[in-house]
Amino acid sequence: MREVMIGNFAIARGLVEAGLELAAAYPGTPSSEILPGIIEFKNREKLAIHAEWSTNERCALEVAFGGALAGRKAACMMKQVGLNVAFPPLLHGYAQPLKGGLVIVSCDDPGPQSSQTEQDTRLLAAHFGIPVFDPASPGEAGDIAYYAMKYSCEHKVPVIVRSTHRVSHARESIELFVPGSRKVKLDEGLKLKGKGRIGIVTSGMTCSITMDILDELNLGDKIGLYKVSRVFPLGTEVIGFVNQQEKTLVLEETDVALEALLDHGFKVLGRRSGHVPSAGELTYDNVRDIICRFANDHGISVPEFNADTSIEDALKEIQIAPRPPKLCAGCSHRASFYAMKSAFPDAVFPGDIGCYTLGISMGAVDTCLDMGGGVTFASGFYDTFAQDGTLKPILASVGDSTFFHACLTPLYDSVLKKRRFVLVIMDNSTTAMTGLQPTPQSGITADGTSTYSIKIENIIKGFGIEFLRIVDPYDIPLLLRTIKEAYEYLETESAGPAVIIARRECLLFSKIREEDTRDMARLVAECTGCKICIKTFDCPGSYFDEEKKKICIDEGLCIRCGMCYYACPTSDEGKSLKELKKVRNEKKRREGREDSKK
Amino acid sequence: MGDNKGEVEGANNFYDIQHRKYDVRKGLFAMNLQIVCAGIGGRGVLLASTIIIETAIKAGLKAMASDEYGMSQRGGSVVSLVKVGNFASPLVGRESANILLSFEESEFYRNLPFLKTGGVTLVNTSRQLLSANIERLLKKRRVQYFLLDADAIAMQKGMIQSSNMAMLGFFSAFDITPFSCDNIKETIRQKVKARLVEKNLEVFQAGYESAQSFQLIADSKNQ
Repeated sequence: MREVMIGNFAIARGLVEAGLELAAAYPGTPSSEILPGIIEFKNREKLAIHAEWSTNERCALEVAFGGALAGRKAACMMKQVGLNVAFPPLLHGYAQPLKGGLVIVSCDDPGPQSSQTEQDTRLLAAHFGIPVFDPASPGEAGDIAYYAMKYSCEHKVPVIVRSTHRVSHARESIELFVPGSRKVKLDEGLKLKGKGRIGIVTSGMTCSITMDILDELNLGDKIGLYKVSRVFPLGTEVIGFVNQQEKTLVLEETDVALEALLDHGFKVLGRRSGHVPSAGELTYDNVRDIICRFANDHGISVPEFNADTSIEDALKEIQIAPRPPKLCAGCSHRASFYAMKSAFPDAVFPGDIGCYTLGISMGAVDTCLDMGGGVTFASGFYDTFAQDGTLKPILASVGDSTFFHACLTPLYDSVLKKRRFVLVIMDNSTTAMTGLQPTPQSGITADGTSTYSIKIENIIKGFGIEFLRIVDPYDIPLLLRTIKEAYEYLETESAGPAVIIARRECLLFSKIREEDTRDMARLVAECTGCKICIKTFDCPGSYFDEEKKKICIDEGLCIRCGMCYYACPTSDEGKSLKELKKVRNEKKRREGREDSKK
Repeated sequence: MGDNKGEVEGANNFYDIQHRKYDVRKGLFAMNLQIVCAGIGGRGVLLASTIIIETAIKAGLKAMASDEYGMSQRGGSVVSLVKVGNFASPLVGRESANILLSFEESEFYRNLPFLKTGGVTLVNTSRQLLSANIERLLKKRRVQYFLLDADAIAMQKGMIQSSNMAMLGFFSAFDITPFSCDNIKETIRQKVKARLVEKNLEVFQAGYESAQSFQLIADSKNQ
């Protein structure tokens, strides 16, 4: 039987067919669909597989590791930067002989497209001596996942399967086997013989692209091609292949794993020799240019690809609406950020990783380092300002899933050290950015069965944090007042961090309630064309019509939450918000005068 | 470069701007076809590309797709690259795509560099005409283009979200084997939620029929 599926589902299928018994993961693009795939195939095949969303990647790896030590076939899944979080067990644990099997799937993000940094899982694996496989297509990813589990059980070591977003998110027809019956032979070796003068060594999706390009350029009989699937430990045949060539070009993503492992000095060309760009995705066009140049440099004449620039010339006159990533229309995070920014426009805004990183476009996120980094950054900023004897407003933000993932330790640290900042926990009851996975607060597990719900407010109270408020972010005036109140609290002698939970469910899984919707006609009717809401609120549900010189509602996107009324300086809501902002300022001024009298 | 590849077999007329007749393409076989589906989130771009690759696979061809979408958000750019035939990767290079299906107008401009000389494009837009500059460019690059108000068709049938079906209906009128009207309809029946199938097929049919009337307009213009 065959079925069209994405690479991540193919990996899930391969693992399930290999007899997987325990799976743990933390969601992160492009790896998030593997665990749901495992649950899907587990249900279809009626197998007893324990599958869980762990609180973070370290938990996922340790759980899977424990299972493997105790004799289970276990796997854990994460994205490349997630592997960093799982470092402690990875670095120490790789030398523990396993009773069962352990496959770690880490998905790299060349570009990067949805990460803070590019990072090459293969390089880490090679560095620490962990076998690593690099599939070139969804079909091969499924085979390799199956093979890797067998390999791990046989050699009693953890094995890494490295996918990239182009493999994980590509779709093709995959053959399904009865569990245990798949026959996999590693697809590695000489693909094109060439003439022994120049050759290419490549792996992963870059290999597939290279094959298409050699075909397109009719170079198939002139350049040798060696495909690597197991990057570490590297086979000896590939070294023989490189020895036969005068020069070898290495094409790989994301860093220099093969290039470093081949180590043939000037014979091997790649990123280090400047023949391949040192960063960024190897797109089809990039690879075509690199191969053209490589061939022409070595006496094989190929017409270089010349882009028809008249396309760009003609497009110059077209105003293509830029589509930077934006929070959805009606997203409660937008309301939270608007209140934060209105309360203290000059505050420092340490941000975190999730949809809400997009608060950057509203000027309400200044930093985005790593999971949980916002709270610790706020701490560092506070300590710095405190040394200088000033109390600057610091408004940190973090989402609910990230809070559980990485914020507990930094937060109780801040309590102990009495650090004065406001933390707004944007609780939308889900892990929205990666596809609505449950959080420890959701009260459900990965496969939908119910479990305990750990409430964020109970954790905050348990830490002994005195200032805790739970606010609906759609009530912007209340949130604004609460933030001001929190800051007043921070000015008192014994203050530690102040926490505000801005709680409203994500619109992607819960539609707006009818009683929360507003009539949007007034916004358009009373619009004076000042564009302030476009600048400060940035909602995709409305746009400025240059002909009418008025704001317009995009009926397809707007959910009528009416939050934009607060961003309109001429509306009643906007005016009331302005009054709220003033109240505090006057109080401050009065106090200032009293201080000077003293 | 590579102009002899990735085209529809024996279909020289297909790429001739002067012959906007679908019948020259009837019964042709899709060999090494590269299709770019471009649109915005929530418009069914991925469903459309799924239907295309499933239809090809059912006909015994190799087909792959590579999707590019941002975070879980509505209204962002979505591009799905589809390759049918003897390819190893699903990725498409600049000026390499045979067909560009634009489910939204601004995504048509953004993805135009994908389209090869002599390619075909179908654009979902309420416009009757493209700007003079763009028209000149398309003519120079021997690109056949079709403007279709798929949103209006979908709206008319009370299915605002189904403009993708109108686009597929029009695409099926090109009748590039295996992407015939009947074959695509069959895939829609399998891939669309049961309660939406009939409505979707209605929009699909309307898209297919608007291609027929388009041909008449194009013929009278060009002959």
